[in-house]
Amino acid sequence: MKAFLKEVIDGLAVDYADIRVEESETTRIVVRGQELDDLGQSFERGGCLRVFYRGNWVVASFNVIDESLKELADDLAIQVNELPAREGGLVSLPAFEQVVRAPKNEDPRLVPLAAKQQLIKNYNQILLNHEQIVSTVAAYQDSHKTVYWYSSENRYIEQEFVRSGFSCQAIARDGANIQSYGESFGRAKGFESLKGKEELVERVAKIAIDLLKAEPVTAGKYTVIVDPLLGGIFAHEAFGHLSEADHIAENERLKQLMRIGTRYGVEQLTIVDDPTLPDEVGSYRYDDEGVPAQRTELIAEGRIAGHLHSRHTAYLMGEAITGNARAISYRFPPIVRMSNTYIVPGEKRLEDLLADVQDGLYVVGSRGGMTELETFTFSSQYAYRIENGKRTKMVRDVTLAGNVFETLKNIEAIGNDLSIHGGLGGCGKNGQSPLPVTTGAPHIRIRNVVVGGR
Amino acid sequence: MRYKILDMVSGQVDQADVYESEVDLTEVEFRQGKFYSVETKLTQGWGLRVIKNGRVGFSSSTNPERMEELTRAAIEASAFGQNVGFTLPEQQDLPVVQTFENRVLLATVARMQEWGRELIEVLNARMPELKVDLKFSRCYREIGLVNTSGLDCSFQRGELEVMVAGLLVQDGIFWVYDYVNLSGGQDFPLESVAERVINLARLGKQKAILKSGDYPVVVMPTALPQLLLPLLVAINGKHRQKKTSPLIGRENERVLSEKITLVDNRLRPFGTGSAPFDDEGVPARKNVLFERGVFKGFLFDLTTAEACKEQSTGSAVRSYSSLPAPGLSNIELLAGEAELEEVLQAMPAGLVVYSFLGGGMSNLLAGEVTLNVASGYKVENGRIAGRVKDVSVAGNVYELFQRVAAVGATQRDLGDYFLPFVKFSSFKVACKE
Repeated sequence: MKAFLKEVIDGLAVDYADIRVEESETTRIVVRGQELDDLGQSFERGGCLRVFYRGNWVVASFNVIDESLKELADDLAIQVNELPAREGGLVSLPAFEQVVRAPKNEDPRLVPLAAKQQLIKNYNQILLNHEQIVSTVAAYQDSHKTVYWYSSENRYIEQEFVRSGFSCQAIARDGANIQSYGESFGRAKGFESLKGKEELVERVAKIAIDLLKAEPVTAGKYTVIVDPLLGGIFAHEAFGHLSEADHIAENERLKQLMRIGTRYGVEQLTIVDDPTLPDEVGSYRYDDEGVPAQRTELIAEGRIAGHLHSRHTAYLMGEAITGNARAISYRFPPIVRMSNTYIVPGEKRLEDLLADVQDGLYVVGSRGGMTELETFTFSSQYAYRIENGKRTKMVRDVTLAGNVFETLKNIEAIGNDLSIHGGLGGCGKNGQSPLPVTTGAPHIRIRNVVVGGR
Repeated sequence: MRYKILDMVSGQVDQADVYESEVDLTEVEFRQGKFYSVETKLTQGWGLRVIKNGRVGFSSSTNPERMEELTRAAIEASAFGQNVGFTLPEQQDLPVVQTFENRVLLATVARMQEWGRELIEVLNARMPELKVDLKFSRCYREIGLVNTSGLDCSFQRGELEVMVAGLLVQDGIFWVYDYVNLSGGQDFPLESVAERVINLARLGKQKAILKSGDYPVVVMPTALPQLLLPLLVAINGKHRQKKTSPLIGRENERVLSEKITLVDNRLRPFGTGSAPFDDEGVPARKNVLFERGVFKGFLFDLTTAEACKEQSTGSAVRSYSSLPAPGLSNIELLAGEAELEEVLQAMPAGLVVYSFLGGGMSNLLAGEVTLNVASGYKVENGRIAGRVKDVSVAGNVYELFQRVAAVGATQRDLGDYFLPFVKFSSFKVACKE
C-alpha cells in the first residue's frame, strides 16, 4: 500500500499532502422488544486526500482506489494553488514507518452472525423477563478497520482497530408512569469482551423498574456526589471541548479563559486526555495526521495545563503537537478531538465522601445535556438522596446546571475509584458523529450545585 | 457492477435488488467573509437486499473487491430477517422528470469562489459590520437499481445550492439566513440574495421587546419545515404499521385548515428530491397528503404497504448502506393569495419568524412543539419594529394548522421544500424579558 500511496502524492507542488485509506467491516444488529429491527453487515473501503499550500487546505474523499487518484491529487494541487494565501502553517514530522496491529482474541470477522445474534437476543431477553419492562432496545455492533496513512514527509503508518460493543435500553411502565434506563458497553477488543455481561443487563432492568417508584427531586442547591459516569461526561462535555484548540483559536473569550496556568480547581484536581490507555475505544497509537498519541494534562493540580491540538492549531498557537487530530471515517478530514478523557483519582474512599454529607444528592450517569461555552446543563440518569452520610431513597428528573469554571472550583473532594466508560455511541463535532471516545472519573464531591427538578 | 452483484445472488435467493449510487459532491465555504475551504466527496456504494425463504437480508459495500463477502453476508443475514410476502416491481413506464441540467456542472470550484467573493464584496459595501458565512454545494448523483423481477432503471440528478448566514454583532448577536436552489441551471442571483440579506439585517439592527402571550405569528417559508415536521412524521407508513401515528383511521377527515394543501411530489422539476422512480423502482408520483385540510393518506414503501394491506405510494427512500423505508421527496404547500406586506399591515401586534432553532420536541408524534426563534421580528402597528431575542413559541401543530389565517401567494424554493409563508391567527409566544 505504501508504494501506491507514495505514487499518488509524491511530487505535488504543495507545502504538504497526506492520504489515508481505510478498509473496514462492520456488523450491527438491533432488537426491539421481541423483534429483530435491523441486521446488516457492511464492507467499506475509501480514502481521504488533503493538500496544504500557503495556509489553505483542500480536501477530497473517495471510494475508487486506483490510478485515477493521481489525477485527483493533481486537481487538488491546482485548486489549492489558486487560493489566496493566508496565515498558517503545519508542524512537520520526520520520515518514519510503522505498522500497528490490534490485539484481539475472538476476531469479530470470524465469529458467525448466528452467535452475535444469539448474544444480543439473550441480553434482550433478560430485560423482557421482567413483567414491568414493556419495551426494550438492544443493539450489537462490531467493527474491524485498517487505516493506511502516508504523508509527503515520507511518513507511513498502518494501524489496525478492533471494536466491539452493545447497548441495552429498558422502558418500564406502571399505569401512566413510564420510565426508561439504558447503558452501553464498548471495548477495543474482540467478541469475547462482550460475553458474561448478564449482571450489567440485569442492572439496566432493575434501575428502570426502580425508577417507577422514585420521586422527582426537589429543586435547590445541593452538595452533590457525582458518580464516575457523570463525572466523566462532565470532564468531556463541559470542560474537554473547551480545551480543543480549534475552538480556542476562533474565540477571543475562550483564549482568555483557557490561558495556561489559570487556576480553576483544588490542588488535587487533574484532568487528562489519554489515547494510549489499553483496550479503550478512544485509544490509538497515531492520530489521523500521523502524530504519535500521548497523554495530555488539560488541568494539572488545579491549573490549566494544556490544549488539544492538530498540526495546524499547534502551529497557529505556537504550542507542541498533542496527536488529537481524528476523523470519524475516510469521508472526513481529521479535526481536533478528544480520546479517553478522565479526572485523575485522588485518595478518598466513597464512604469518606459520603460521610461528611448531611443532606445531599448522589447523582448517576447522564441522559445528555447542553453546553454553550462555559455554561452547561446535564440531565442525570437517576440519583439518591444522601441523608446523614448515607445513600437513601432514589429520586429522578435530576438536572445539574452551572458554569463549568465555578463548578470546577467547587469540587471539594476526589475519590480513589477511577472507572472509565466507553460504549457504542461517541462524541459529535462538526458533523462527525459518533467518534469513539471514553470518559472517566472517580467519585467526586461538589458543593453548591444548582439542581433543577421538573 | 449492480448487474454483476445481481448475477452472483440469483439462483441462491427468491428475490433480490441491488441499489447502486455514485455521488460527486463539492462544497466551497466562506467563513466570516473570508474563503475557508474546498471539500470534495466522491462516493460510490452498493446495497444488496435479498429475500430468501420469505425473509429479508441486507448488506452493503463500497469495496468492489469484496463482492463475494457482500453476497454471502446478505444471504447469511436473511436467516434472521423480517418475513415479507411482496414481489419486487417489474420494469414499468417511468414518468419524465427534469432532474439534471448541464449548466450545473459549469459551477466549478473557481466559479463558486468567484460568486462567493463577489457576494461578500457587495454585502461588505452595503453593511461592513455584517459577518458573512457562505456555502456553495454542487452535487452530481447517479442512482441505478436492478432486481430479480427484471427491473433495470437509473437516473442522474444535478444539485446546486447556496446557503448564506450573516452574523450581526451589535447589542448581542443576530443571525440572518438565505438559501438559493440553482439546480435548474439558473444564473447565480447575486443582487436578489444581497438585497434579501441586507434587508433582513437592517430590520434586525433595532431590538424590540415582546411580552409573553398569544399573538398572531407569520412563519416564513425558511422556518416552516420545522412546524410541518410532526405532520410529516405522522404520515409515514412506518408509523401506520407500528400504530403510533395519530392520523390512523382519519383518512378523508378534515384535520387541518382548508387553506392547507400539502403534497409530496417527486415529479417536480429540479427539486433536490426529484426522481422518476423511488428507491425500490416504483414509478414516481405526486402524493397528496392533505387536500384543503382533509387527510388523504400515508406514504408507503413495499414493506410497510404489505404490512398495512395497502399499495406502495412510490415513497421508498434508501442509501446504499440501508434498507428502504418510507420517506419524503419534495414537499409542496400550495400557495394561497396573501401578500406579506398586506398581512403585516393588518397586524397590530405579532411576530414574524424567519428561522427556528430546534427546541425540545417533547412529543413529536402527538404534534407538540416548542421552538426557539433564531431569527424573528416583532410586528407593531403593521410594521416590523425590530428583532426579538430569547423568544420561543409552543403549541400543538394539529391545533395550529386549524388556525391558519393566511397563506402566501408565492412558493419559495428551498430545494426539497416548496413553501409560501403561513400566518397563524394565534400562537403561544414565551419571552424571557
